Amino acid sequence: MQALVLKIIYSGIIRNFLKLIVGVKFDKATFLLQEKQFVIVANHNSHIDTMALMASLPSSIVHKVKPVAAADYFGKTKLKAWFSNYFINTLLISRKGGKAIHAMKKALEDGYSLIIFPEGSRGEPDSEQQMKSGIALLLSLCPGVKYVPAYMCGMGRIMPKGDGLIVPFSSTLVYGKPTLPNSDEIKEILKQIKNDVDMLRKSHC
Amino acid sequence: MNNVFHLSIFQNNDSLFIVGLIFGILSIASLSFFIFEKIKPETNIKELKNCTKSWWVMSTMFVGATVFSTKISYVAIAFLSFVAFREIYSLLGFRQSDRRAIFWAFVAIPIQYYLAYIGWYGFYIIFIPVVMFLFLPLRLVLKGETKGIIQSMTTLQWILMLTVFGISHMAYLLSLPDLEGFSAGGRGLLLFLVFLTEINDVMQFVWGKLFGKHKIIPKISPNKTWEGFIGGVISTTAIGYGLGFLTPLSTKYLLLVSFLVAIVGFVGDIVMSSIKRDIGVKDTGTTIPGHGGVLDRIDSLAYTAPVFFHLVYYIAY
Repeated sequence: MQALVLKIIYSGIIRNFLKLIVGVKFDKATFLLQEKQFVIVANHNSHIDTMALMASLPSSIVHKVKPVAAADYFGKTKLKAWFSNYFINTLLISRKGGKAIHAMKKALEDGYSLIIFPEGSRGEPDSEQQMKSGIALLLSLCPGVKYVPAYMCGMGRIMPKGDGLIVPFSSTLVYGKPTLPNSDEIKEILKQIKNDVDMLRKSHC
Repeated sequence: MNNVFHLSIFQNNDSLFIVGLIFGILSIASLSFFIFEKIKPETNIKELKNCTKSWWVMSTMFVGATVFSTKISYVAIAFLSFVAFREIYSLLGFRQSDRRAIFWAFVAIPIQYYLAYIGWYGFYIIFIPVVMFLFLPLRLVLKGETKGIIQSMTTLQWILMLTVFGISHMAYLLSLPDLEGFSAGGRGLLLFLVFLTEINDVMQFVWGKLFGKHKIIPKISPNKTWEGFIGGVISTTAIGYGLGFLTPLSTKYLLLVSFLVAIVGFVGDIVMSSIKRDIGVKDTGTTIPGHGGVLDRIDSLAYTAPVFFHLVYYIAY
């Protein structure tokens, strides 16, 4: 049931709303169908980020992809947590302590793919923050899982942090190629991911 | 409601003629590119082919939006305004503190088109130039961020005038009252305006490519030449004369109006070029392959629509 609901919401309503009204340009990420499992790594400036990434997924895998979200924000109350888990398909993690990595690893083992924003919190529009190393740690613990870099520009202008009003803005979402980490060293993996995301920014924004 | 899908255009030979003409021209263009490529496969006309392909899509959409009920036409033109507005404002680097005012500018779009739809001319014609002109600065002031506020006030109003007020005159053509002995009506006028404006762009391009030598305004648009401009104006005026049955104008006025449409079409084009030059982009977007953004295609219309509307309104109504 939830799979169908997610399909209708993201591949039906939100995809068209973002493309026609809001003005987000993106292609359907059909290349992801060839991957059994992946972790999408993207920059983070707005709630629209998650919406755009979910809307760009082929409808057949939407329910298999979980955006990783902060439990202290999206799971503040029980109702909010249920709502996030059901309608955004989130994997709620606690930002403090070491349990987060374990929860993400378990989701991957259960066959889910993930969407991770390694910057953590949403930054100022069109700017980036330092990536946190959790993503690299996760990839080093789950060898064989590919990461997919993604970059979005203009999302912070549609709906910046602390503002609930959506104002249309011509913006884009681009994907890089699914890639395996070259090393099992956390620092190296993080550098590689950061490099890939930077390349996307430079070539598309 | 049951006349929404009533193909009234097919009861009107005048409109049917121009639809045939549009697709006839496109067929000839596509066919000649096809033959040209067979004869001279080494030449690169990919750009032209892309451009023509997009013309096919745009013409089909335009004809589709005018063939079915006029209600759909209002919505389609409003959407065109909306996309053009979004495109240009996104390029102009507004401040984050302008978001509320920009939101209200977006809200103005459906209101403007609704006023055109119900044909309330008195309010329609002042809504953006007076009401929004006075209201948007207030919204910016209430936000309280004064650094750069002049630029936001002026730019926002200017793009609203260009992409919404100007373009909405296309929609108001459809709300003009019926004239005795003039069967093509508002829809005929709309077809006439759009066809003439677009064929003017094409003619200026073709004449410029064939005979262009003397640059007309090199600092803004290095490809524009006197030969292209004059050739375009003459051909457009002639074509306008040939399509006079779509308007209620007498020959004298028909020639004058076609001549002016050709000239202001050119003006709209170079005004938009200068803005793109200022921002440092070649096109306003990538929506239409071979053309650029939506605004790149309708820049001339933003100028021709109000000029054509008010000329016809003054002369014939």
